Amino acid sequence: MRRGLVAAVALSAGLAVVLSACSSSKNSSSSGGSGGGAGGNTTLKLVAADYGTGPSNTSQKYWEGIASDFHAANPNITVNVQTINWNDFDNQVKTQVQNKQYPDILEGDFFPDYAQSGLLYPAKDVTSPSTFSNLLPVFAKLNTYNGTQYGMPFTTSARTLFYNKKLFQQAGISSAPQTWADIQTDAAKIKALGKVGFGLPLGPEEAQAESLLWFLGDGGAYQDDSGKWVINSSANVDTQHFLTDFVKSGVTEPNPGTKNRTDLWKQFAQGDIGMINGSPALIPIIQAGGKLTDSDWASVPIAGKSGPLDKTLGVCDNVSVFKTNSSKQAAITKFVDFFYQDKYQTQFVKEYFLLPATNSGIKALSSDPTFGPFLKALPNSVQYPNDPVWTQVKTQIQQTIATSLTQDPKKVLDSIQQTATKGS
Amino acid sequence: MVDTASASDVTRESGRVGQRRRPFRQRLGRAATPLLWIGPAIALIAVVVLWPVVVMFRTSVQHFSPNGFLLGPAGSKNFKNLFDEPDLPGILERTAVWVVVVVCVTMVLSLGLAQLLNQVFPGRRVTRWALIAPWAASVLMTTLIFRWALDPNSGVINLFLKDIGVLKSFGSNQADWLGRPQAAFVWMMVVAIFVSLPFTTYALLAGLQTIPTELYEAARVDGASTWRTYRSITLPLLRPAFLVAALINVINVFNSFPIIWAMTRGGPGHETATTTVFMFQLKEAYIGESAAMSVINFGLVIVVVLVFLWATRWREQVT
Repeated sequence: MRRGLVAAVALSAGLAVVLSACSSSKNSSSSGGSGGGAGGNTTLKLVAADYGTGPSNTSQKYWEGIASDFHAANPNITVNVQTINWNDFDNQVKTQVQNKQYPDILEGDFFPDYAQSGLLYPAKDVTSPSTFSNLLPVFAKLNTYNGTQYGMPFTTSARTLFYNKKLFQQAGISSAPQTWADIQTDAAKIKALGKVGFGLPLGPEEAQAESLLWFLGDGGAYQDDSGKWVINSSANVDTQHFLTDFVKSGVTEPNPGTKNRTDLWKQFAQGDIGMINGSPALIPIIQAGGKLTDSDWASVPIAGKSGPLDKTLGVCDNVSVFKTNSSKQAAITKFVDFFYQDKYQTQFVKEYFLLPATNSGIKALSSDPTFGPFLKALPNSVQYPNDPVWTQVKTQIQQTIATSLTQDPKKVLDSIQQTATKGS
Repeated sequence: MVDTASASDVTRESGRVGQRRRPFRQRLGRAATPLLWIGPAIALIAVVVLWPVVVMFRTSVQHFSPNGFLLGPAGSKNFKNLFDEPDLPGILERTAVWVVVVVCVTMVLSLGLAQLLNQVFPGRRVTRWALIAPWAASVLMTTLIFRWALDPNSGVINLFLKDIGVLKSFGSNQADWLGRPQAAFVWMMVVAIFVSLPFTTYALLAGLQTIPTELYEAARVDGASTWRTYRSITLPLLRPAFLVAALINVINVFNSFPIIWAMTRGGPGHETATTTVFMFQLKEAYIGESAAMSVINFGLVIVVVLVFLWATRWREQVT
């Protein structure tokens, strides 16, 4: 699951922030990296993904700000920053590593094969105990190779249910939807206004996310706690039956199997959709749309079959530290502790509409009106399966899960389950 | 003239002399000289045409991880998995419909258009230029324009249909042309025909212009009707151009990817996919199986072309 946020949030989506980063020019500064010795000056090389949409909010600025603060506090340590836009990130990092031009610190995807090759420090060796224990434990598993945690979550994202308060008011609905039954009745009332009641993006872009959110609602999942595939569980089949009826009742957009998140989020921002599952990345889209003011919408926990969920789908991007030169380890630890401070986490969250990856970061933002609602479920968020076969399973879900709206759901889920258990 | 002739005589003379005297090495060098000129072209074909074919065949019998790591040989497993795909028969059928309908309709419409453009009328030059537009524009661009024109909420085609009373309301299932597999497939065929028309029309127009006017004059003198003239003079003489255009269209339409990909991505499921699109859908998770589909596609194109050539007695008709 090393593509964590990239796949789920950044590249595939209508997240304006990150999407246009793809087209923005590459931001790279001169790469330092060599040098450093005990007693003398140490130079660290940080390579990070660029989450910005252009020169105005490039992550280069964010990291250079931290680097200069850090240099001011530790004059004998200099941090050189290189940011790479998400489109080129994997390729450039791989090339650097193949040429043995290792960064000291890498932020972006976590590459388990680097841990496997012994290139990385275990996370515990390059953080102080307080920083390490501050990292959200729910994302530890994704960053673990062979029982040791190498990657550290740096930024995260999670889903909530967005609803259009203006439409709710017009339809005479006074409270936020909490259960599937609420969603059905509320969607029908909004449909009566001539709008789409519920936006259901089951098209190939991100069907695996939308489906998981509904599965969670009935206590289902892709894998159970022991890591066993349970895609065709009876709970999941029931969920698909519910969705089939839900779609048939005509309160969603027509043909959800062909509709993608990017387009539906934009429609929500236009005020044409009553409810939709979203992440903080939807907020800048709403703001750019200019149709809904901050008080026209709200976000609440994902609705479940019998009540709001205390968990949700979570994704994260990670920091990993390369074993470049053992004399640098102390300096690296200092820097890692430094940039995990709450103020930098908060700054990142507000800049890019993502979520923090530390316990104290969550606490610092918990009363924030924009981000607060997303943080409740984040510590017990559910991730996509950490399994090599997931790529194939995901593709099959994206391409076929919507066919269960017109065919026998059991058969469709059986077929996906079969792919999962067959292995890669 | 005289100069040239004598010069070539000299060359020939010295050539003959040279052949007798030059050692083998030099003769070989002379024989290889043309290679210098056609060499780059051959190298280009080898690298961009032949090599990918080799890689495609090789990939189809290998087992790859979705991230592109080679995991070992796969034998015929990729092909077996491909033939076990429950959606494959439907996809093959759809591909046949796609090629036959798009090519036939394109050819018929183009015959009419070419005839029209061959007439002398005011504004002919502009009309001819206008026809180039869909050809000059990238297929993807044209397709995206159609996709947006068909948008269920604000597409211009839906606006028009609403205005003339065909469409009852926006955002409805009826307005969602690309969401319903059958409707989507018909619309995609419309786009495919639209982008195929310019080339076909120009190919036929070129053919029409090679028909000597004396023949038409003779027909007129003989009192032949317009329809008779068209059937007995225009169509037979147009045959070579018609066959070339049809064949190129068959290959193009069969391989057509951007139209379907940009409009429906072959979905929902694989319900609007042709074999070319299905190959790409498979590639996202099953590289080997996707290569197997490529091999089948490759074979299909060759078979279709051979059948076409045989059925149209190509050799007599065109060459």
